[in-house]
Amino acid sequence: MIIYVIIVLVVLVVWVISIYNFFVSSQTRIKASIQEIGNQLKRQSDLIPNLESSVKGYLSHEKGILQMLSDARKLISIGKDASAKIAELLPKLQVVVESNPELKGNTVVTNLMDELRDTADKVMYARRLLIDLTADFNVKRVTFPSSIIAGMFKFEEMKGLETSDTGVHLSVSELETKSPKINL
Amino acid sequence: MKNIYEVRNANKIKSSIVVVGFVIFVALTVYVLSQALGYYWGYDVGGLGFVGFALIISGLISYGSYYFSDQIVLTISGAKKANRKEYFDFYTVAENLAIGSGLPKPKLYVIDDSAPNAFATGRDPKHAVICATTGLLDKLTRTELEGVIAHELSHVRNYDTRLQSLVAVMVGLIALLGDWLLRMRMFGDRDRDRENMGAIILVLGIIFAILSPIIAQLIQLAISRRREFMADAGSVSLTKQPGGLISALEKISKDTEPLEVANKATAHLYIASPFKGKRGQGSVGWFSNLFNTHPPVEERIKALYDMG
Repeated sequence: MIIYVIIVLVVLVVWVISIYNFFVSSQTRIKASIQEIGNQLKRQSDLIPNLESSVKGYLSHEKGILQMLSDARKLISIGKDASAKIAELLPKLQVVVESNPELKGNTVVTNLMDELRDTADKVMYARRLLIDLTADFNVKRVTFPSSIIAGMFKFEEMKGLETSDTGVHLSVSELETKSPKINL
Repeated sequence: MKNIYEVRNANKIKSSIVVVGFVIFVALTVYVLSQALGYYWGYDVGGLGFVGFALIISGLISYGSYYFSDQIVLTISGAKKANRKEYFDFYTVAENLAIGSGLPKPKLYVIDDSAPNAFATGRDPKHAVICATTGLLDKLTRTELEGVIAHELSHVRNYDTRLQSLVAVMVGLIALLGDWLLRMRMFGDRDRDRENMGAIILVLGIIFAILSPIIAQLIQLAISRRREFMADAGSVSLTKQPGGLISALEKISKDTEPLEVANKATAHLYIASPFKGKRGQGSVGWFSNLFNTHPPVEERIKALYDMG
């Protein structure tokens, strides 16, 4: 008889320990996931201005060449001698053609857009992890029987991603039900 | 429905069963064969002599399969490592989903094949590998790719990959061997000197043929339709966009090209069956039907619509 009581007690203790460990390890993981959001935000703020300036630099370079080309073309079209303009343009054009067999403004901008989307995704997924982990924690905290352990050790509800409980983001306006149009 | 911890434990237990089953099978086969051949050649092999040897060999194979099954699977699939520059979407999507799921970033590999497909392998999340074909990476948009990679990451998280890779290497080895022996017997000539050899191969072939339903059962154990549905559900809970996975599955199933590097030992690893109506002949065809246990894509898409 006593052996059964001992078995039941051991099982109970093991269960209490596993639930307790779930709560404390979740708390640690939630803290780590908050740090991960910060980490991704820092990456974003380091990366984006650098990308922006390098793309801008590249585009202005290409823009200058195109400007000169169209200037020369204009002169020809109104019947003037454009040889001076072209002489000025040629060495620059040569440098560009040698270093870039084709003008790559298109790919540079596409790459920038890819990086922007990737960075936004990274921050979003970092937040998603925080939301998921806090949801797991809070569900375990309030559901029976793990709620007994949470009560015993006074585990507080985790906040997760702090979002205001009131405000326009909780309602959908008439305008928002329509798909946005893009004007370029 | 089982929760993720129960699924994980079940997969770990089943992995152990596969390993133990493999060792017992090899020892038993060697014992039967050594006794039969000893009788045939007219000398006494002496009890369990060969079995100890077989146990050591199968033990080594099990050890190797556990630690190197991912490498073996990648090698027979002809996969190469993916870098960020060349496969930007693949690399960054996997990186982001790893952040979102709280798993370490898996190693990424690419198979140069235009048939769109993908699989995951590795013994635990720390040693996970996700492999995609170039066809998949070319044909899918980023959102669709997210659905597929999240599906594979769910396999990793559920420890499906450990079980499936072990099954691919161990059970696949036995199945392929049996298949090969059966075919060898069929095409063997009737040369008098080869008669003895033919008899041995016939014995082996019959043993494997008798055991193949058991092997098929093992594969079933590893794949089970629910596993794919669970990974689909895991994918949606990670990306929150069922639309991506739905249109990815549609694209993959509409593509009629079979994946050349897939064989029946690795077929169950892939997100969708890589055979695409390729029917073998004789014992081979019968085998590949047994191994074809992917749930129909339509059913999976319907389940995904119900989630969304």
